[in-house]
Amino acid sequence: MSIRHILLGLLAGGPSHGYDLKRRHDDRFPEARPLAYGQVYTTLQRLVRDGLAEVEGTDSDGGPERTRYRSTEAGTRELAEWAGQIAPPAPFVTNEIFAKVVVSILSGGDPDAYLRAQRAAHMTRMRELTAVKTAKGADLASVLSADYALNHLDADLRWMTTTAARLTTLTAEVDSA
Amino acid sequence: MTTGTAARPGADLRMAWLLTRGSDRREWWRIGLTAFGAALATGIGLAIAVLNSLDGYHSVSFGSGLLDSASDRRNVSLVMGLLLVPVLGFLGQCARVGAVHRDRRLAALRLAGAGPWQVRRIAALESGPACLAGSLTATALGVPLLLHLWARPTVLTWTGIALVAVAVPVLGAAVGALSLRRVVASPLGWVRRVRPVWGPGRTLRAVSGLLGVAGLLAGLSAFTGGPVRLTLGPPALFVVVLLVGFATVSLTGTAARRLGGALASRAQSPALLIAAERLRDDPWAAARTHAAVLLVTVVGAGFVGVRQVLLETLHTMRREGTLGTDMAYYTTGIDLTAAAILVALALTVTGLAVGTVESLATRRRGLAAQVAAGVPHRVLARALLLETALPLAPAVAVAGLGGTAIGFWYASLAAHGTGTGLPYAALLVPVAVYAACLLAAATSLPLLRRSVRPAELRHA
Amino acid sequence: MTIKGDPTVPLLEGLGLVKAYGPTKALRGASVRLDAGEILAVTGTSGSGKSTLLHCLAGIVAPDAGSVSYGGERLDHLSEKRLSELRRTEFGVVFQFGQLIPELTAIDNVALPLLLAGLPRTDAHARAGEWLERFGVRGQAGLRPGEMSGGQAQRTALARALVTGPRIVFADEPTGALDSLASEQVMTALVRTARESGTAVLLITHDAQVAAYADGEARMADGAVVPVGVTA
Repeated sequence: MSIRHILLGLLAGGPSHGYDLKRRHDDRFPEARPLAYGQVYTTLQRLVRDGLAEVEGTDSDGGPERTRYRSTEAGTRELAEWAGQIAPPAPFVTNEIFAKVVVSILSGGDPDAYLRAQRAAHMTRMRELTAVKTAKGADLASVLSADYALNHLDADLRWMTTTAARLTTLTAEVDSA
Repeated sequence: MTTGTAARPGADLRMAWLLTRGSDRREWWRIGLTAFGAALATGIGLAIAVLNSLDGYHSVSFGSGLLDSASDRRNVSLVMGLLLVPVLGFLGQCARVGAVHRDRRLAALRLAGAGPWQVRRIAALESGPACLAGSLTATALGVPLLLHLWARPTVLTWTGIALVAVAVPVLGAAVGALSLRRVVASPLGWVRRVRPVWGPGRTLRAVSGLLGVAGLLAGLSAFTGGPVRLTLGPPALFVVVLLVGFATVSLTGTAARRLGGALASRAQSPALLIAAERLRDDPWAAARTHAAVLLVTVVGAGFVGVRQVLLETLHTMRREGTLGTDMAYYTTGIDLTAAAILVALALTVTGLAVGTVESLATRRRGLAAQVAAGVPHRVLARALLLETALPLAPAVAVAGLGGTAIGFWYASLAAHGTGTGLPYAALLVPVAVYAACLLAAATSLPLLRRSVRPAELRHA
Repeated sequence: MTIKGDPTVPLLEGLGLVKAYGPTKALRGASVRLDAGEILAVTGTSGSGKSTLLHCLAGIVAPDAGSVSYGGERLDHLSEKRLSELRRTEFGVVFQFGQLIPELTAIDNVALPLLLAGLPRTDAHARAGEWLERFGVRGQAGLRPGEMSGGQAQRTALARALVTGPRIVFADEPTGALDSLASEQVMTALVRTARESGTAVLLITHDAQVAAYADGEARMADGAVVPVGVTA
């Protein structure tokens, strides 16, 4: 996930300052991890260094001074290029659940119990996300981001169900290797 | 894909056998009923063939002299030929048993790569043997009976018998193949969802046109006299009866749809609402069986009237000594006709019962869902009865009145001189027919209770 | 039969349910409990006995052994007539398909339980119309089930199940034949209405995303309810 590009995207709507960018990010991507202020400012500074954004001016309206940033032409080009690129489909399989199952078999643990507990945790999270989705007045952005997570969790769950059904074979295979 | 196009009747026959053997009980019901209908058709056909193979005057040992003269024999065979109409109706009804299931099975065969002709052959092979069994049984029973009555039948008689025995299964197979033309056309043939394209409009126009032509021919034959009437008469009458049947199907269909629409918008009780909406949705299902009922009602009511008048006239004539032949000659003829009409009624009512049971069997999953949702059995049972009773009531009343009118007209012809009363007894016929139909529909009620089990809800 | 909201008595409870269809044992001692207003998902692979459990709990089939109690009263002590009445008034059912009468229009299908209860047709239609409105299928009121999309038909079926104000809705794979968007609409409509009206829902599904609409989960395997696992 490229925060650079997301900030550039938010700047495409017009000049803005760091606090405002963070707030808009958290609104737009409701279920994403919220941005930290420090991260926003360091990223903005790097964008300026690379010539993709520039300082437009400062506002104070009574409060502390805030630096307003805007996107440059190079920034707009970079953004368009990034938005058009496909995301690489799962370049590396990093599957923590699978790793834990294998480790559990190797160390003589109970992979079945682990899978059941993991499944319950997944279901709990899915129920939370579904509650966000079905809450009265939920906006489409919330629904869509919850859906994204739900589909991924669902995929994990299906994988866990089939894995649990094949644990015996897997145990034999891991032990003999 | 040309390897499969070569005719391999052996493979097709085996496939037809496998499909039939693997199918459920209903398929065996269809086969049994079809065989029964085919046996009846063959029996009637044999009788007609034998009667017509006689030439000139013969002294036949039974039938009170009714079968002695050529013209009488022709009339008797005409009555028997008319009996073929309800038999055909009955066979048509039997073909519908398990139709949805069979259509799907054959559509699946098409999807699996069977060619249209192969599917047609398999379908024909599925219905052909049932007809063959029926026709063989009838022939096997008929021939010894014939030999018992008639020591040395002619070559013509044997030829007739052979022709009938072969024609029935061949026709049965052909009709079986023909009725599947829509499935054959599409491997995804969900035929039942497609509304029949032939509505009342086109059929009604065609039938009334044909009726007009038939009427014209009948009129002409009256003018040209004897020979034409004799040669054209019986087949023409047969055709007219068939056409009247078609016209009745169209009329009852339209009437059922109108009635369904009118009742559906006003119905207060759930049973009436369900019955009315079913009528509006598929009025033809009702119309097909009801046409035969109406024909029987017209003919039956007319006959009761004519019979009463005829018997009174005959008695008067005998008292006056003006009766030429033996009284039994006439009464045998009348009784024979009465028997034929009763057989027709029995067949029609059986057809109705088969139709009701089939419609129930087809819908049993949906009905099970209704019961699961708490719709009481009695509401469903009432809807089932109303579905038969509603459209039939006005139609049978009109048909009964028509038949009675025939009797009254005949009475007015015979009334001069003799003191014959009006044949009011004919009015009882529609009532009796209506009651018989309700009873026939009610035979499906035990099946409703039995088939609407929650086990039907289980996903296969 | 009216059930008071006594918190100590479960609304519906099945204990040690056993049911066999011929040689196949669909249930081998399944126990489950549903509280008032609870939405419970029954999950499991196909053939694990989910549907049979629902049929037993809804009083559609009698279990071979075990008991079902509704508000503390045993269902096996009721006559078929009373059970039928119970299913019509206190329960609502939604299946994957088949619960709508194909010949009736959407509004007549929804009005049917009210007509069965003796309401005049105009009143029944008025209430049915409101429910169609709630499920967003008011515009399809005059259509027959075959003329609607799968999602519209299922929302109509939900309206029919809820129109009598039941205490429990039994839903057997209500979204089994739907795509994910239609499925989402059906589930959202069901869950929202159930929560608003305090209706309990027993939801049978093999789909985790559908099960996530529920408050809790009863997982089935080989005809029995198995422990779900400890939530971390």
